[in-house]
Amino acid sequence: MEFNLSTFVLEIINFLILIWILQRLFYKPLLEVITKRKQFIDQSLSDAKNLQQQAEQQCSRYENRQKLWEQEKQAAIAALHRQLEAERKAHLDKLNADLEQERQKANVVLSKQRHELQQQAEKQALRNGAKFAGMLLQQSAGCELEARLFTLLIDNLTTLPEACKLCLTMFGTKKSVPVKITSAYPLPIEMRQQLEQKLDALINSQINFQYHQDKALIAGLRMDIGAWVLNANLQHELTGFAEIANEPE
Amino acid sequence: MENEFTFALGPVDIGTSIITTWGIMLVITVIAWLSTRHLDMLPGKLQTTVEGIVVAIDEAIAAVAPEHGRQIMPFIASLWLFLIIANLVGLIPGLHSPTRDLSVTSALAILVFLSVHWFGIKTQGLKNYLRHYLSPSPILLPFHIISEFTRTLALAIRLFGNMMSLEMAAVLILLVAGFLAPIPILMLHIIEALVQAYIFGMLALIYVAGAIQSQQLNPPE
Repeated sequence: MEFNLSTFVLEIINFLILIWILQRLFYKPLLEVITKRKQFIDQSLSDAKNLQQQAEQQCSRYENRQKLWEQEKQAAIAALHRQLEAERKAHLDKLNADLEQERQKANVVLSKQRHELQQQAEKQALRNGAKFAGMLLQQSAGCELEARLFTLLIDNLTTLPEACKLCLTMFGTKKSVPVKITSAYPLPIEMRQQLEQKLDALINSQINFQYHQDKALIAGLRMDIGAWVLNANLQHELTGFAEIANEPE
Repeated sequence: MENEFTFALGPVDIGTSIITTWGIMLVITVIAWLSTRHLDMLPGKLQTTVEGIVVAIDEAIAAVAPEHGRQIMPFIASLWLFLIIANLVGLIPGLHSPTRDLSVTSALAILVFLSVHWFGIKTQGLKNYLRHYLSPSPILLPFHIISEFTRTLALAIRLFGNMMSLEMAAVLILLVAGFLAPIPILMLHIIEALVQAYIFGMLALIYVAGAIQSQQLNPPE
């Protein structure tokens, strides 16, 4: 436990040298690298923080932009829907108008077809009526019917219109007028005389009467006075019916 | 157990404590050189270990003297590192801990005493530093002066006494109880060596920090 001055002094010197060595070789380089690393970490953290802030700002900006886009999209969709609705309504109205027009056309065509069918049916009915009437009259016609038609002809000659009478008077300028009288049945003498008297009264000229018989007349008479023909027979009436049925509208 | 002189260089006696101190210094220097040869931002195992040691010491010093930690760190850290190794050297057969030598512990205590005033004057100026001896009352000046010397003496005696008694107890137990009984004593030696190194360094830190911050604790009127 002796105190040695040499050891004491040398120990002081040794320790001061140790401090110097450690300061140069150990503390200083280590603290420098630790400080650099800390600065690097701080810098990295700062950069990361800045990046995070930038990222958050970008995120916020993009979110806002996305919201705007969403609003614009909704507005565009709403506008598109309105436009589609308007176009659909316009198309629907046009379609309804076209359909109405087509329906009216179809109604017109249908009514026309119906009218035509009705007319055809009427014509067919007239033809059938004429046909059946002709068949019936052919079976039921006889001298009595012809006598009545003769009477009707005489009455008609009496009550001819003035225009017809004037036309018959025009034949008086000729020397001889041929009159062809055709009947379905042989015309009795009394009837011939009555007819000739009546015609003589109407035509102031020499009349050349010619009598013929034609079964096609069914019943009644036909008088050919020049170009003028006077019919009082069933065949002519039936033909008239058939012509009425075949007449165009 | 006495400091055996091996040789003398003129008037200077070179004892085992000095030789052991040189050996410790050599080991510390080699380790420091090896561990700081290739410092990298991505540290390896050795660099991580020494960085951990330095950072732990730096934080401990900063906890006591936050404003002047870096200034006193080399002195305090060197004390801790040197004392830890010096105290544990006694575990190696054939070697003795230099801190069992009163001359060595006295030298360290004197260094602490001088550094307290050095750092105090350096940070506050001579006038301001000396003023704290008169606070809170000039009557306490003698007690302050006595305290300066007694605590320095206590530093030297505490470390010397503990380490010397520890080695002595280990030798006595080894002589009495054979080979197995000293093992717990060796464990105790390790703990005691670490604790004594910590106490010496921490007291030195507190003394130096107290000197640096004395003006803050006793601001001038």
